[in-house]
Amino acid sequence: MVPSLSSSLRVREMWIRIVEQCFRRELGDSISLPDDTVDLIEAGILDSMSWVSFLRGVEIASGVSDLGSALNEQPATFASVFAALQQVDSKPLEQDDPPPEFVRPGRGNLALITGSSLALASRVVPSEEIDRAFGMPIGKLRHRAGIESLAYAAEGENELTLGAKAAEETLRGTSCGAHELDWIIATSETHHNYPLLAAQLHSRLLVRENCGALDVGGACLGLLNALAVARSLIGSGAAQNILVVTADVHSRTLTPGRVKGEFGGLFGDGATAFLLRGGNGTESDGGYRVGEFLFGCAGQYAAAIQVSDDLEGGLAVRFDGDALSRAAITRLEKTISAVESRSGIPRAAVGYFATHQPNPRLLTLLAKQCGVSPQAFPPICRTSGNLGSSMCAAALHTALQSASQLPVAERKPIFLASLGPGLLFGGTWLSIGDQRTEAGD
Amino acid sequence: MTKLLITEITRMGPAFCIIGLQREKDEIHSVRPIPSSANGWRYFPHQRGDILECSLMQLPAAKPHIEDRVSTRGFWKSAEMPEPETVTWLRKAELSPTLPGLFGCAVRENKRGSGHYVMPGEAQRSICGCDTQNLRLELCANELRATLVLSSGEVLRDLPVVDHNWRGFVEQALSPERGANRMNRLERFLNSQFHYKILSCPHHFVRLGLTRPYHEVCWLMLDTLFPLPKPEWFEEF
Repeated sequence: MVPSLSSSLRVREMWIRIVEQCFRRELGDSISLPDDTVDLIEAGILDSMSWVSFLRGVEIASGVSDLGSALNEQPATFASVFAALQQVDSKPLEQDDPPPEFVRPGRGNLALITGSSLALASRVVPSEEIDRAFGMPIGKLRHRAGIESLAYAAEGENELTLGAKAAEETLRGTSCGAHELDWIIATSETHHNYPLLAAQLHSRLLVRENCGALDVGGACLGLLNALAVARSLIGSGAAQNILVVTADVHSRTLTPGRVKGEFGGLFGDGATAFLLRGGNGTESDGGYRVGEFLFGCAGQYAAAIQVSDDLEGGLAVRFDGDALSRAAITRLEKTISAVESRSGIPRAAVGYFATHQPNPRLLTLLAKQCGVSPQAFPPICRTSGNLGSSMCAAALHTALQSASQLPVAERKPIFLASLGPGLLFGGTWLSIGDQRTEAGD
Repeated sequence: MTKLLITEITRMGPAFCIIGLQREKDEIHSVRPIPSSANGWRYFPHQRGDILECSLMQLPAAKPHIEDRVSTRGFWKSAEMPEPETVTWLRKAELSPTLPGLFGCAVRENKRGSGHYVMPGEAQRSICGCDTQNLRLELCANELRATLVLSSGEVLRDLPVVDHNWRGFVEQALSPERGANRMNRLERFLNSQFHYKILSCPHHFVRLGLTRPYHEVCWLMLDTLFPLPKPEWFEEF
């Protein structure tokens, strides 16, 4: 594919405009533009501070993020800047439209999950201790819900520290530098402070200033929402590397005296991170390809779970456990069926089901309802509790870890399905290379 | 005679800028010895951690470089202190967990591009230590730059790194005898091992300084990064 002349000219004209504007911003409108080959530092036109400042301006305006790196060992000239811009966006445009501002040429437009990490809170608390704290009969959580222990945040742990830990491990595991990220998309059902979690992670990880930071909601559906946004950004060519982070610390919000133990006692703390990269679907890309998403809202179950602030600064929780359990099983099974139809992948061919896990008992019921082995559902909630937006995410990370032990050819698809209050539901699938179907992408 | 623990050796163009710690009664504070005819030294044979004896004269110094003292005689080394202990003393000197606390005034962002500055008349000092939650060094168009997060969560981007040892380390990493792909290897190091080595070091510490007024503002710089780079790190990349 060769770029059309008009495309190339348009891109070139845009770069010239940006470089001129940024240069004039540094030195003022009155200065005449030096020749392309003049070394701006040696000629005393810019000092090292204003040279870097000028380049940062060009980076932000052009959306080319690695300009400074591309200009190492190069003279400080306009010619070097244009050459670096050319080099960074070196692959040809496929067609005249859409315009280059929106589609960065040469980027893979399939979203691949290439790495993940799970950071459970470090305190492991037996469920009997939680029973006692909430004033429930000892053994209730274990025998009624199947929860053996819960992961609770230790002093110094919170959504930011857990999320950052998972993020750093993911970046390290994928050899992706923080400066390579185009977006951080965060989701949490317990972090309600400002700056929002994505902004705090942005600072903590020291990503580039022009890396976007976005928080998405959805509570337990948050991971699916975040992945859908990430897939769209990569698919449109607007991003190449996106970090999706979930982080939830329930143990400081759903406390005894504030909520009942039948509700608050179910939840634990943890965080996950996933690196999504653009690829072309070749084997060398590695990772699982993110399929299409389906979402919806079954409003008839909206009253089964409602949480709001009350006037006294507490939490008003409406929780009909039986109704919610029935709705959850029904909707998760329906979502899995819909994913099965949309993907063309029979559930029998699926390696893992990374679903929301309200509690271990319901997970077993879901497996039975779906007619698949309970072994296909990574049993996170049994030892950590319901992790909110990190629940489906923790299951997905565990599934990806297990799959990574197998040769690529033996790795099976993964189905994702989750729920959020409303009753929101959503699903998607992950597949590798030739597992894609016509009904799929 | 004044006893000075040398804590900063920074490189500003062809000259070195030196800062040390001086104890006065119960207070530890920074002092910048300068020659009588310039702001920097063309030759300075001592190291950080050296304890030097010298004669310093306090002249009326323009804000914010209130730490300036004219050195009237030479320097005599009387002892030396290991790196962790030097940092212990630095922590007892000027220190701030927040951006406004660094120089006792508002730190402003360069509206045109990158970098941060203060107004000379507003700043109360020109050097301050800080702890960081995270720190990254990068080479941007041949210029060594630091980005860091203070304890308060405030981020400072694109600070010029003027630390003599770190600049020397980078220059040596890029010297031709280091073989092929030197830039890529250095970038990989700065993006991976560096991060671990610095942040896991128990005496990790940073000192930020201000340039002399330039076009009516003083720019923030990373004066010192502890731990200092180790020669054996070259074998890792």
